[in-house]
Amino acid sequence: MAMKPSARPEARGRRIRRTRMFPLWALLLGALVMALIGTSPYYGGTDSYVVQLIGKFLCFAIFALSIDLIWGFTGILSLGQAVYFGIGAYFVALSMKINYTLTHPTRYGGKIPDFMEWNGLTELPGFMEPLMSTPIAIIGALVVPTLLALFFGVITFKRHIYGVYCAVITLAESLILQDFIIEYQAYTGGFNGITDYGNIREPAFLWFIIAVTVAFFIIARFLTHSRIGTVLKSVRDNDVRAQFMGYNVANYRIFVFCVSAFMSAAAGAMYAAWVGIVSFLDTGPLFSVEAVVWTAVGGRATLIGPFVGAFLVRGLEFMLSGSWFADYWQFFIGALFIAVVLWIPDGIVGSIGNWLRKRRTGSVRQIREDADQRAHDQQRDWEPAGARKPGEEVV
Amino acid sequence: MLSERATTLQTTNLWLIALGAAVALLVVLVATGTITISQRYISQMMIGVSVAAILVIAAVGLAIIFGVAGVINMAHGQFIMVGAYTAAVVGQLGGNTFVAIPVAFAVVALLGLIVERGIIQWIYDRPLETLLATWGVGIILEVLVKVIFGPELYYVGAPRMLDGGIRLIGRLPYPYYRLFLIGMAILMLAVTFYLVFKTNFGLKVRAVRRNRAMAGSLGINTARIDMLIFMFGSGLAGVAGAVLAPIKSVSTTMGFSYAVDSYMVIVLGGVGNLLGVPTGAFIIGEAETLIATGTNSVIGKLLVFVFIVVAIRIVPRGIFGYQERR
Amino acid sequence: MPLLEVKSLTTVVSGYRILNNLDFSVEENELRVLLGPNGAGKTTLIAMITGQFKPTSGRILFNGQDITGRAPDEIFLAGISRKFQVPNMYETLSVYDNVMVSLLTERKVFRYMFKRVTPEENDRIWEILEFVDLADKANDPVDTLSHGERQWLEMGMLIASNPKLMLLDEPTTGMTEEGKRRTADLIRRIARNHTVLLVEHDMHLVRQIADKVTVMHQGQVLAEGPLAEVVQNDQVKAVYLGKGGAH
Repeated sequence: MAMKPSARPEARGRRIRRTRMFPLWALLLGALVMALIGTSPYYGGTDSYVVQLIGKFLCFAIFALSIDLIWGFTGILSLGQAVYFGIGAYFVALSMKINYTLTHPTRYGGKIPDFMEWNGLTELPGFMEPLMSTPIAIIGALVVPTLLALFFGVITFKRHIYGVYCAVITLAESLILQDFIIEYQAYTGGFNGITDYGNIREPAFLWFIIAVTVAFFIIARFLTHSRIGTVLKSVRDNDVRAQFMGYNVANYRIFVFCVSAFMSAAAGAMYAAWVGIVSFLDTGPLFSVEAVVWTAVGGRATLIGPFVGAFLVRGLEFMLSGSWFADYWQFFIGALFIAVVLWIPDGIVGSIGNWLRKRRTGSVRQIREDADQRAHDQQRDWEPAGARKPGEEVV
Repeated sequence: MLSERATTLQTTNLWLIALGAAVALLVVLVATGTITISQRYISQMMIGVSVAAILVIAAVGLAIIFGVAGVINMAHGQFIMVGAYTAAVVGQLGGNTFVAIPVAFAVVALLGLIVERGIIQWIYDRPLETLLATWGVGIILEVLVKVIFGPELYYVGAPRMLDGGIRLIGRLPYPYYRLFLIGMAILMLAVTFYLVFKTNFGLKVRAVRRNRAMAGSLGINTARIDMLIFMFGSGLAGVAGAVLAPIKSVSTTMGFSYAVDSYMVIVLGGVGNLLGVPTGAFIIGEAETLIATGTNSVIGKLLVFVFIVVAIRIVPRGIFGYQERR
Repeated sequence: MPLLEVKSLTTVVSGYRILNNLDFSVEENELRVLLGPNGAGKTTLIAMITGQFKPTSGRILFNGQDITGRAPDEIFLAGISRKFQVPNMYETLSVYDNVMVSLLTERKVFRYMFKRVTPEENDRIWEILEFVDLADKANDPVDTLSHGERQWLEMGMLIASNPKLMLLDEPTTGMTEEGKRRTADLIRRIARNHTVLLVEHDMHLVRQIADKVTVMHQGQVLAEGPLAEVVQNDQVKAVYLGKGGAH
């Protein structure tokens, strides 16, 4: 019935032109950049502000990369990815704080974190005792957000909820977590966040952050440029076709969503350990959406883009922080949102790529418009049979 | 071909089911509770109705924009905020809420016009990126308002004739202003209904919503309809700001929580039909109030969110979602 | 036993019977053409078979399995591939990748993860690209293709998925005469190795390729048999060909 394999000789052994997954020049360049960053403590001083910023920005860049994975390569816009970043950060911060106060008692001599004392707790709540163990805290920081993402992913994507609905729902998740942290201040530090827990300030830890960044970048590169990456892109481009080609679209979305949450959580955990302050803002919708804009500025659907975007936007903020302009920083961010969407929808890296490959400017954008529009239409109109109960009216 | 009848039949059925479930829940609550408890719940439900009214007021502008133009306006909360500041200015000039309502409508409708012509008209076809752009608009509005009015809070008094209130069963005070809010919610819905279902403009709006390409080829200027609807929805957000200003202090960040509540109303209620807004608002308002009496408001919000997520598993586009096929 | 068997399939939407107690079957290695005026329920039938919508009652048996009401991806894995009326593919991917993604392999996420394109699969992709005459454009993104080329590519994607039954929903819509001729040729070549169910309006094309046709009207099968016989059927003449005769 089927055609015999390779019946035609001219078909045999032909290859497709394709960029390598890890081109040599990119490896060398990456190694050079990472070596520059990694040696910065030795010529900049471990305590220097710039070195501290670099570690912080790397965490942000991983966070933006995780958003790029779901938004740029799978077409899911989540405005609540900070939920996973924040949970990872809070796990680590709480654990470090608890252990820190054991050796550094509070002003009143207490052995529990100061914010618990202020809120009238006299001893560590039982459910927080496991956090005294660092490995458990780290595992919790990585596993809990991933499982949460699995949960949210199943309830949204299994029902074909995506597009703007998904964005709005994830935004609400983020807001609710933020409210929760403010409300239960006895356990979370509330408005003030968690501070003073002796953050790690060693070059070795910066090297660790770099190693994780590189590892995640390689994972992301593999996920997007291997065969499964082609499938993810096809789900992004046309999920109906993909489903009629036998792909369980929801499962692919859930999988990428979980990988993304895992990366976000790891970024948050390292951020907490490196920076030494975690607050409700790190789980909130503002942070979530800002990170989406880093990705957009750098160029979505490119893997370098999130790094460029995070370093550029946050770096600019840092450079301008002393000047009169600092008061209007938010204004600038707002304008950036609009400018990126209107004028550089492919982002910086994406636009450079267009130029280098002599691609029609906005060619990716045109395609994306179609994809967005299709997703939007389907949100209204299309529903697979598997989602309906038998006998229910259709069409 | 079959869409018109399919839509009405399905949504009506769902609506009846939802209503039936709500009534059954109420009956169970009353039947199992003692008299004092049921009195308390009745009072709470009355408060829930006013919460729902606030949600309707906040959400109706957003819903009409999303329903017709397919765009979620992430600056909706900030539009409400601008409306509230307008009311504050009107208050300082000696006007009361009744004066502030038309002024706020005009001011925010104008703002909506600027935003639509300047930004959104270029990106209607990219709904996800509209979210980002309008979010940026919201940030800019917050900064601008902070620059103009300073960081301090403003307080807007309720009109003198709405001072005082009645007492409900269980001795709970029920200010006149809550009654006014309920009336206002009904009025805003009624105006929108009238506009969409009884006017020539509304006919065009419905045509565009049903089948944009067809409406366009039949000589309806769809871009103009989009623009007018965006202005109208923005104006409603301004009215919401003016009406809601006396409830809370007016600050630059007041709008965001209203906006998120509005998104939830739309997600639950759906935008296929304007009844979705009051239905979603009623369910969320009641549930939040009833749960919050037993626990605290954050738990209430969380449980309501979980409820919404479960609900959209059953009705993915909201209770009154689009069901038609093109 | 027929490959596809539709048993008393009924679809009711708000009181309208789109499909009315439809019985229908397709044998293996057959090229069957589904005819019928607009609104006869042809595309609805395709949608039911592929799981886009659920029937109100009735059963769909495929290859001995009951596939009624399964999700589209499960039905694909059972062996049915569908070509949509409007070309429907992955717009940012290259022509080659579009075919590669469609190859019939394991579809589960974790089993797919470390898969690579084997030399055999590569050869197969090139062979398919040559079959649909797109080998020269293998590297191009599909949005640079013409309408006709997109239709052929989608058929190539269906071939790659190696289905037991191929559903082609009006593959010549919007094509030039030359395009239609080439498409007819392509379908004939596909039908040598595949079971094909073709929905088609263009009688000229149908005459070129059909051996057996089924005429649908108002959700039921009106007539079935060789084309020459069916077009002589008075009922068919009345409802389908209309007063004016040929289409």
